[in-house]
Order: sequence, then structure tokens, then C-alpha cells
Amino acid sequence: MTEADVRTEEIEPGRLLVRLDGEVDLENALTVEERLREVITNRAESVTLDLGGLNYLDSAGLRVLFALADRLELLQIALDVVVPVGSPARKAAELSGLGAVVTLRAT
Amino acid sequence: MVSPADGIGPGLPADHLRRIQALTDIGLARLEVEELLDELLGRVRELLEVDTVAVLLLDPSANYLVATATHGLEEEIRQGVRIPIGRGFAGRIAAERRAVTIPEVDHSNVLNPILREKGVRSLLGVPLMVGNDVMGVLHVGTLRSRSFTDDDAMLLQLAADRVALATRARMSQTERTAARALQRSLLPGQLPTVPGLELAARYVPGGGGEVGGDWYDVFGLPSGRLCVVVGDVVGRGLQASVAMGRIRNAVRAYALLTEDPAELLRWLDRQVQHFEHNIMATVLCAVAEPGHVEVTVSSAGHPPPVLALPGVPSELVEVPADPPIGLTLPRRRRNTTIRLPAGANVVLYTDGLVERRGEPLDSGLARLTAAVMPGPAETVCAAVMSRLIGNEPSADDVAVLVLAREAEHEVAPLTLVEPAVPRALRGVRQAVRDYLRRAGATKEELADIVLAIGEASANVVEHAYGPGGGLLEVHLEMHGRTVTATVRDTGNWREARGTNRGRGTTLMHGLVDAVRVDHDGRGTRVVMDKTLGGVGQ
Repeated sequence: MTEADVRTEEIEPGRLLVRLDGEVDLENALTVEERLREVITNRAESVTLDLGGLNYLDSAGLRVLFALADRLELLQIALDVVVPVGSPARKAAELSGLGAVVTLRAT
Repeated sequence: MVSPADGIGPGLPADHLRRIQALTDIGLARLEVEELLDELLGRVRELLEVDTVAVLLLDPSANYLVATATHGLEEEIRQGVRIPIGRGFAGRIAAERRAVTIPEVDHSNVLNPILREKGVRSLLGVPLMVGNDVMGVLHVGTLRSRSFTDDDAMLLQLAADRVALATRARMSQTERTAARALQRSLLPGQLPTVPGLELAARYVPGGGGEVGGDWYDVFGLPSGRLCVVVGDVVGRGLQASVAMGRIRNAVRAYALLTEDPAELLRWLDRQVQHFEHNIMATVLCAVAEPGHVEVTVSSAGHPPPVLALPGVPSELVEVPADPPIGLTLPRRRRNTTIRLPAGANVVLYTDGLVERRGEPLDSGLARLTAAVMPGPAETVCAAVMSRLIGNEPSADDVAVLVLAREAEHEVAPLTLVEPAVPRALRGVRQAVRDYLRRAGATKEELADIVLAIGEASANVVEHAYGPGGGLLEVHLEMHGRTVTATVRDTGNWREARGTNRGRGTTLMHGLVDAVRVDHDGRGTRVVMDKTLGGVGQ
């Protein structure tokens, strides 16, 4: 079973840090998507999604991130995504053009 | 009594005995261990009419014999010859606790190249025993062929018993404890066993047998990486050694906090500047990834490692030297990544190995690079010591550490057949990762290929079959340094559906060097090639 872990922390009121660890592929992408929708409520003003702890992210996972970006834009919640240099998620994020819809940060 | 070929009789056994007895009785009580051994060996050489005499003592780890005193084989001590128990001529004597004689020396029965280079033809050796404990080995050799007799062996054993007793008696309990404690802090008792990597090391005190502040260290990290350190605390004698012991342990402690060599050295620098006074050290810190394909190195004023690759002249690795530890806090320390292909060697050392009075440093470095070549770690280490130290002891102490990556073994092709369901994907990735590690892929190459295969496999799972399902087949093989991955199904390909789809194909093209997709009546085949980084990159 492909496992991913979603952990959240409210850094300050309205500012949410979401850490996504483990692996995301076709098998668990929908589960991850549901978890993200649960933890990000419409009270949030901005969300930082940290993918530094992710060992595998394929296009099924990227699909979730693109959908999330769309959804948060509609809700007027700012989203930036942390993909450290050399991390497995960085290449996938860059090649897929995720940077065109959200801010990609190294730290 | 005497071999017939020999022709000269050293006298009657009773006479020998008296003379040996006399050796330990008369006025030797005031002599230090070294002088006493020297005197005894001289007498043995005379009595047995041999050309070489050597005493090797068991080191504190009890795994090695270390050349300690000799007449005629001075190189053994200068090069810090260490013979593993059970191997070679001396190692066998210590393991079997009995006399061994070799009438004709050749490569198969003698491990130590110095004996062969000296032209020693025949050897006789006996264990140094006190009670039931083996302390070491005493051996004699001749430059012409000689058959040692039982009487020769008996005589040598008598001498050995006296050498053993005298040595032990002179090494007072405190001295031994101190010497052992010091040596234990100097060097790892035994180098760790690391699958896929061979290690060999030497430490030789400087001229006059004085220990200094050089050290080497190799240890595993909790992440599975390997940390390798060589350093040199400036100074001489006990004080430098003791400071070195503290710094070595500080490195070990920080290695549990960070596995980034530059960051580790930054911490070490802060530690030394806070706690130590007037201590300066050069340190080379390296962290090897699992599989040892990539090694990250940071240098605090330390001479650069030498890299030897199969089929290429050895060279100094360009590792920029940041300031030594203990001076100033530099704004930054840098990391350099070295690629270590299968069959490659890296030699780390301290400056005592390459520095000679009245000679520019470059000549020493040139001699070192010429002496280093791919090969087994012990052989390379012995060759380096022989070529650079030879018979001329270094003024400074010397530490050398050789890491040799095992030569490439053929990586057998991998074929996986799984039901085409999402649940199968994780297992496929796991097997592909294992295969690529064996093939020597770097972390980044591995991640790229795993994702490309993951995408192609997910396509099969999502699009190849109807509700009845089918099979996903993944095949990997190496052609030289190129990985060819084939992902196939036996269904009817359909174009991707839904929004945000088709991204997988873009990824695949961005991750590998070439992607080909063939459809035919029997299904679809995606073939991807990626060449693993060239030598030395």
C-alpha cells in the first residue's frame, strides 16, 4: 500500500503549513486529495505545502496539486509549494509546469 | 643440528643455551624495551647465523601483528607493517602457536612484499608466548636457501621465550594501559566491514617513533551513509594525540546531528574555538551515499584526496580547501561531490605522507598520484607506503586510508510481471530502485528512472485494459552504462482521459534520454533509455 502522511500546523492565525510525507501515486492520490481538502478549511488565508519529505510524486499526485491550486485560487487562499533542491518532488514539479500556477520555493 | 647444506656449525646446543641464558641475565636490566630487544635480536642473528631477525608484537585489538624490532628488515617498521592473524607467514605462526619454516619463499606463502623485495629465501619463525598467551612472533631469514632444522627451531623458541618474558616484564602495567588507551583513541581498533567497499589504513609515528595528532576514522551513520574522516592536529607528542582524541570524538558526535560534511566542519570549528586553546587542525570529512557511488567531501585546509579510476591515470580530486579548524570562523565551508564508479579507489592521507624536507610539496603529490592505482585496498595501501615512505621515515606522523569500490559485477536483467492494478505500483518501484542501486545509479538518476517507469506503469494500469484487467510487465537491463527500461501491456492502448491528464508523457520525456512507444496487435510497449553519468563526473 502506498503511504502518505499529511500533517498540518497553524503557524499563525490563518497561515497554514501542510507537510506531505511518504509517496503519492495512482493508488493513494484520491486519499491524499481528500485529506488535503479536510485539513485546508476556508478559514485559511494562506497555505504553504511542504513536499520536502516526499519520496515519490507521479502525475497522479501532480493532478491533485493542480486541482488544489485551482480550488484555492477560487477560494482566494494563497498557495506556495516547498520543493527543496535535489528532492524527488522537485523534478516532477518543474517538468510538469506546476510553477506556472503556484509559487515553488526551495525552502 | 645444522642443515648439511649449511656447512657451518654454530656450536653445541648446550653452548647455545648458555649463551641465550646469559643474554637475559647479564646487565640488561637497565635497558628499555627497545634497547633490550635490539640486543637480543643481535645475539639471535649471530647465534643462528641468519641475515634477518624480526619481532612482531600483537596490537591491542589482537587482530594484527605489528613489526616492532628487527635486524635487517628495518623497512618493516618504517612502513608500519601489519600482518593479520592467520594470514601469511607470521600470521600463521601466531594463529597456530607453533614454529613454521619456509625453505623457499614465494608469493603463495609470504604476504609481506618487503621479505620478497629483500631477497629473503628461507624463513623460520616461532611464537612469542607468555603462559598461554601469544604476544607476537619472532622470525629469522636467510638470503640464501637454507633448510632450518628442528634444532634451529628449538634454539629460536628458547630465544623467543626469553624475548617474550623480558618484553612483558619491562612493559609495566601502567605503561601498557596508557599505550593501549592512547592507541585506542588514535585509530579504530578494526575498520568496519562495509559491503561493496574495501578499506585499508596505516598509521606510522614520525621519526623517532613519536606519536602525533594524525588520525583516520570510518563509521556508519544512522541513515545508512558512511562517514570517513582523516585529520591532523598540529603539534607533536602526547598533547597533540590527546587533543586529536577529543577532536575525533567531536566529529563523531556532530556526525549524528548532521550528515552534511561542510556543516559538520562548521560545528567542529565552533566547538574547537570555544573549548580548545591554540589548537589547529586540518580535517577532510567525507560522507558516502549508500552504494558509495557518490561521496560528498569538505576540506578544512587538508590536502586533497587521490582518485584512481580503472583505465585512467590517477589524479588529485579538486576539493577546494577551506580554512583549517581552530583559526577563524570562515563565512562558508564548501562541499564537493566525488563520483566513485565501480572499481575506483580514493586515497585519503595526512601531509606527512607527501612532505619531505627540502623538496617541494608538488613532487610528493606527484609521487603519490603515480603510486595510486585501482586495485584491492590493502595492496594499494602497501604500495603507497612502500613508494612514499620506503626506507626513509617521515619526520611527521603519517595516516593513510584507502577506500576501494568493488569492481563492477554484471547486473542481471530484471523482469517483473504484476497484475495491472494500482496496488502493484509500489512494489514495482521498490524492485526498480534495488536494481538501479546495484547498477550504480546516483540518487538523482535513480529518482528520474523510477518516476519515468512509474508513469509508464501507471498508464498501463489506467488505460491498457477493460474491467477484466490484465498484466503489467516491466523489464530492465544494462547495455554498458545505459539502462533500458521496457514497460508493456497486452491490451489496447487508449488515449488518456479526464482533465489534467497526459502529463505523464511530458514527465517521461523530461526524465530519461529517449522514449519510444510501439503499439501493435499484441499490446503497447514503452521503451526508455537513460545513460548513467560518465566516469569522473
